[in-house]
Amino acid sequence: MPSVQKQFKRQLDSLVKVFDFIDQFVARENVDDDAKGVVCLAVEELFTNMIKYEGANSNDISLELRVDGEMIIVQLVDHDVEPFDMTKRPVPDLGALLKDRKPGGLGIFLTQKLVDDMQYQYVDRTSIITLKKNFRRKYV
Amino acid sequence: MFDIKLSDSGEVVLSGRFDAAQVEKAKAILDRLTVTTSVDFKDLNYVSSAGLGVLMATQKRLGDKGQKLILKNVTGHIRDIFRIARFDLIFEID
Repeated sequence: MPSVQKQFKRQLDSLVKVFDFIDQFVARENVDDDAKGVVCLAVEELFTNMIKYEGANSNDISLELRVDGEMIIVQLVDHDVEPFDMTKRPVPDLGALLKDRKPGGLGIFLTQKLVDDMQYQYVDRTSIITLKKNFRRKYV
Repeated sequence: MFDIKLSDSGEVVLSGRFDAAQVEKAKAILDRLTVTTSVDFKDLNYVSSAGLGVLMATQKRLGDKGQKLILKNVTGHIRDIFRIARFDLIFEID
């Protein structure tokens, strides 16, 4: 099945269009709801981190989705940025008391726990993050 | 489409998709809470770390006054996220 790819403006308001794009793809591929939820969460967490850490960058962020067998492959590409390997973020202290807990780092931690594979590449000032998530088809 | 309402009985009701773009809308309601309050997740179908952060901040603020949020009807994919984030340690989940 061919991949789909789209550019999104680097702003929180883009999330509605990002989710619409994912919704159309998973509907076409009959992806189960659990995997769809994971893909949405992973893309949101990575996309919002790209906004947060490269806010002054005016380039759009590219999102590509494709299926390979029973695996959804998601790729986010961010051009003309400093290197920022989200796969190497420190693990938040989830056992801390409420008063000591901090929200930072939770999104990437959740993403890494929920997807089956997450790889980071940095080439020619471009960050490329590739995720894989196993899924079941809702119907055949 | 995300929505958050305060019911006549004082319960917070969430619905739709609670993503990073909805933080201010959620805070407008949650920041008004001053006593122990139930939050109903029955019609919520998605939450990201941004939503979790707002809930955590509210729980901290209420906890300083001896109050808390009680989360209800947390199921499916959202329950998995709560378990991985160890929110069971900091929230009462009915």
